[in-house]
Amino acid sequence: MEYGPPPLFNQGVSARARLAFFSFLAVLLIVIDAQVNALDTIRVGVSVMLYPLQRALLWPRDALEQAGRYVTTVSSLTRDNERLRQSGLEHATLLLQDAQLRLENAHLRQLQGLRERTSAKTQIVQVLYEPRDHFTRKLVIDHGSADGVRAGNPVIDELGVVGQVTRVFPMVSEVTVLTERDQSIPVEVVRNGLRCIAFGGSEPGTLVLRFLAANADVISGDMVVTSGLDGLYPAGLPVGTIARVERDVKDQFARVVVNPAGGVDANGMLVVLQVTAAPLPAPPREDGHGEHPARRSTHR
Amino acid sequence: MRLWRLRRANGDTTAGAHTTVQRGQPPKQVLRPVSPVFIWATLAAGLALDLTPWGRTPLVPDFLALGLVFWNVHQPRRVGMGAAFVFGLLMDVHNGALFGEHALAYTLLCYGAIALHRRILWLPVLSQSLYVLPLLLVAQLASAAVRLWVGGGSGHWWVGLIESVVGALLWPLVTWILLAPQRRPISRDETRPL
Repeated sequence: MEYGPPPLFNQGVSARARLAFFSFLAVLLIVIDAQVNALDTIRVGVSVMLYPLQRALLWPRDALEQAGRYVTTVSSLTRDNERLRQSGLEHATLLLQDAQLRLENAHLRQLQGLRERTSAKTQIVQVLYEPRDHFTRKLVIDHGSADGVRAGNPVIDELGVVGQVTRVFPMVSEVTVLTERDQSIPVEVVRNGLRCIAFGGSEPGTLVLRFLAANADVISGDMVVTSGLDGLYPAGLPVGTIARVERDVKDQFARVVVNPAGGVDANGMLVVLQVTAAPLPAPPREDGHGEHPARRSTHR
Repeated sequence: MRLWRLRRANGDTTAGAHTTVQRGQPPKQVLRPVSPVFIWATLAAGLALDLTPWGRTPLVPDFLALGLVFWNVHQPRRVGMGAAFVFGLLMDVHNGALFGEHALAYTLLCYGAIALHRRILWLPVLSQSLYVLPLLLVAQLASAAVRLWVGGGSGHWWVGLIESVVGALLWPLVTWILLAPQRRPISRDETRPL
């Protein structure tokens, strides 16, 4: 007859067995999450559950910031006011010209029978927090699928493109910034209209233009804007300026490093462009992986 | 466990020659039993501190991980790996990480703490930090390995390892705070010793 251990020494399942079980479960979840999007409903459920707590914990920081803002001196306010008035005056002439140019442009386009550039619906959002993740740079904003934000929407600030919405929850969404390694965006150089794709750079906080020929006509200081070829980012949004161009004799491509234009600071205001990705005309030749790079990154 | 501590506190050296090697520690106070409410309250507080927006500074430790190590070292039968796993999933959703990344890290952390708890408790608090540091580092490196495996690594991710060092440095403070309720005298009677 077998005897089990007396209950005094019975400690339940051994620690090693529990370790094996839970590690296996964790690895299983990681693999499932990395390969397919099957766990998104669980993620959304947990996110909705965590949301009130997250919002409550933002309160101390916001209160501190408000207190800090309250004691800003009059001099800084007057300085800001002066600066804003000046920039308003500077922009006034541009705006007046802009209205005229827009009319003229519309007229010309009608004449040419081109499709009008649709202006996307915009939504002003606030950055709630930056997740503490030392691998990827993300931002969490305070609007979600309940407000019409969709995965893939471009996110801009007053200076340029900041990134792209990559994951949407009912109340919040995650924005992956442009300088992430997996992000890509179709761009063109303003000076000569040279089109290429900007990827997140290997150095943190930069972009690189890949697949540009070693003798391509780019110089440091060139402005880079979205080309709008993907049907997702509207054309003409500033992306950055070329910081330096390295032309190596051995390499057939130039190494072009771009400093992003859009700034990213915590608790800032951003704008989500709610573009509905227009279905692109099918490419003439399908080779299995015809998906566009800018949109592929939204499925991660 | 508690019995052994009692014996040590009374200066009973009959338990064997090896227990007398105490490196000049003051005799330990007999601790009161811990209340489960306090354990879960501190873990919830750790979660809340982790959800607080600190920005991207690596100087803020993972408070929840510290709490899990502490309770698994001091009360290895109260907080299990299942709880650590669930807390890990919550952190995954908050940080937008892969589902299971923090869960794996916290599970490893708990196992390490349970495996080492007899050895760690033997040491004075400052030396305990030296054992806690590799535990925290292993947990962080586990999630780093997952990231590199999936292929999302970029930039200077190893800067984040400072988190673990800060966490280990905070260990004496954490011990002092979390053991405080158990250090209360049993009765307020001044005439009674201890």
